[in-house]
Amino acid sequence: MAQTDTLLRYRPWRGTARGPLYASTALARASLKLLFRRRIMWGLFALALLVFFFFFYAQYLVVWITNLLATDSVRFAGIPVTVRGITRFFEPLALNGTAHTFGNFIWYQGYVLVIVLALAGSVLVGNDFSHGSLPFFLSKPIGRWHYILGKCLAIGAVINLLTTFPAILLWVEAGLLYDWKSYYLDNFTLLLGIIGYGLVLTLTLSPLTVATAVLVRRTAPMAMIWMGLFVLLPMLSGSLVESVDDTGWRLFDVWNNLYLCGLSCLNADHAMVRPQPQPPYWQAWLATGAVVGACLLYLRKRIQAVEIVS
Amino acid sequence: MSEESKTDLRRAGVVRPLMNSIVPNEVHVHQGGSRARSPNSVEPLLLFEQVSKWYGSVLALNQVTLELTGGITGLVGANGAGKSTLLRMANGQLKPTLGRVSVRGTDAWDWKARRLVGYCPDIDAFYEDLSGRRFVWTMARLCGYTRAESNRRTEAVLERVGMSGRADRKLRGYSKGMRQRIKLAQALLHDPELLILDEPLSGIDPIGRQELLELFQALAAQGKCLLISSHELEALEKLTNHVVIMARGRIAAVGTLQQIREMLDDHPVSVRIDVDRPREVARLLLGLPEVLAVDVAPKLGAGVEAIVVKARNPKRFFELFGQIAVEHQLNVRQLEPLDESAHAILGYLLGGSGRT
Repeated sequence: MAQTDTLLRYRPWRGTARGPLYASTALARASLKLLFRRRIMWGLFALALLVFFFFFYAQYLVVWITNLLATDSVRFAGIPVTVRGITRFFEPLALNGTAHTFGNFIWYQGYVLVIVLALAGSVLVGNDFSHGSLPFFLSKPIGRWHYILGKCLAIGAVINLLTTFPAILLWVEAGLLYDWKSYYLDNFTLLLGIIGYGLVLTLTLSPLTVATAVLVRRTAPMAMIWMGLFVLLPMLSGSLVESVDDTGWRLFDVWNNLYLCGLSCLNADHAMVRPQPQPPYWQAWLATGAVVGACLLYLRKRIQAVEIVS
Repeated sequence: MSEESKTDLRRAGVVRPLMNSIVPNEVHVHQGGSRARSPNSVEPLLLFEQVSKWYGSVLALNQVTLELTGGITGLVGANGAGKSTLLRMANGQLKPTLGRVSVRGTDAWDWKARRLVGYCPDIDAFYEDLSGRRFVWTMARLCGYTRAESNRRTEAVLERVGMSGRADRKLRGYSKGMRQRIKLAQALLHDPELLILDEPLSGIDPIGRQELLELFQALAAQGKCLLISSHELEALEKLTNHVVIMARGRIAAVGTLQQIREMLDDHPVSVRIDVDRPREVARLLLGLPEVLAVDVAPKLGAGVEAIVVKARNPKRFFELFGQIAVEHQLNVRQLEPLDESAHAILGYLLGGSGRT
């Protein structure tokens, strides 16, 4: 071993160590790097990219077809097909640069997102608990909330990378497809709505991911819980709404609540929200707030008891 | 320590009366009594005040009061004695059920206290995909250093633990010894005043062990306080003779090994004496009231006889032996206490072989 007793004292550092909030961002960066080392993550990101490209090109296609065939019809297998006949397949997606375009895009990205978050939770948080690497982090000058904040930031970055960022690209594209000056000016609130939707997703799903990862830690149970939350509960609530005819049951569907909150940010017409009937926006906000509150309460309880007993 | 608490400890059968009053220079132990501190005095680096810790119904630490101000302190004890619990509390990883742990006056649970503490845990679960350098660098960033400073510190500590040439390999490919060095490196990053090392020598080869022992001594010479838990008693003895011995959640004894041994009045000390005319000396020694037994046996490999004496009250025995040696002009070639090793003392204290 080299004799370097004075090495740490060589050219003494005169700066001040930054606070634990900065350490949270450093933790988030390290977490993201870990996540991006997983090949399965790249596979899922590719899937999310496919959804984005579908919306991106479909939006372009709809405008192109509408402009090109404004008056004419084309013959398809000898049958004359009108513009409406071609574009009606896209109508449920509302590929016209409106609030529902972005709402629908984020809705469909949700299918990939829940899988990504299930994996991210177990990789970023669960492994720290189950493999016992938490003592290294908590031996540094950061508090337990800073640790959670760091992990939430990393998860938030993934959420926004899959939803908000591509939705903003779609908004930019929509402006370029139509009269961009009037579109950007008239629909600036849509941009704010997209950011608001992303914020709601981040603030809800980050603590939810961390809380479930702290609860179950391993990938398989984590995936099962998320499938329960985002597949079974929506099915259950859907069937309950239909059978009991009470929209309140729809509030069990966490993803639907987030969708409603997002559409509320986008100022979308409630009557146009699919599937109908839907609970009012305020109820969705309340239910989402309750989920966040429950997660934070659970994390607070765990934080008070987070002790490294290995 | 009050008489009342002494009685409690004796009743518990954990702390023997002889070791209650050992108060060395740098480590103070108080069990069952709080100490008044003058308002102007500097806060001790690490202070345990009447700390107890329960895991459910299991009492892991029982009213421990301990103060560290500097130097190297070894922490020894059998498995389950509460060593790791004590270290984790000192690092703020565990919260005391009762009492208070503070680092320079700041509660150890508070993140600010950890600016002063470097912790090398006994586990070595890392993010295996990272390289050693990257792991240490990430830890430096968590300490709040800028990118450039993190780079500088990472290189400095890697150099210091002898890993700079091997730090680019992924952690999953590291041997146990390399992992220990990386753990030590991350603990040294922020140049802490107090270093808490949980089994830092386990898995390290003899050469590496010697290097680390030298490093620990160098750190102590720089003014750092080291609290080292180890089962490697021989290695610990080379490093320091200042130990805290734990048993069943309590601090059984604290001080130098010699001090502790001297307090073990009810356990006879064994001394080998290499002297001319051994049989005559044996006869003289048997006349001393402190001597329980004398054995004259050939010294292994030397071809001459040596005396092994068992005597109680070591202090008094050595005084009397000195007088005899002067009076009879004995040519004493060697005087070797046979049971002042940490093993032997632990054996006495813990009622077993001393194995930890």
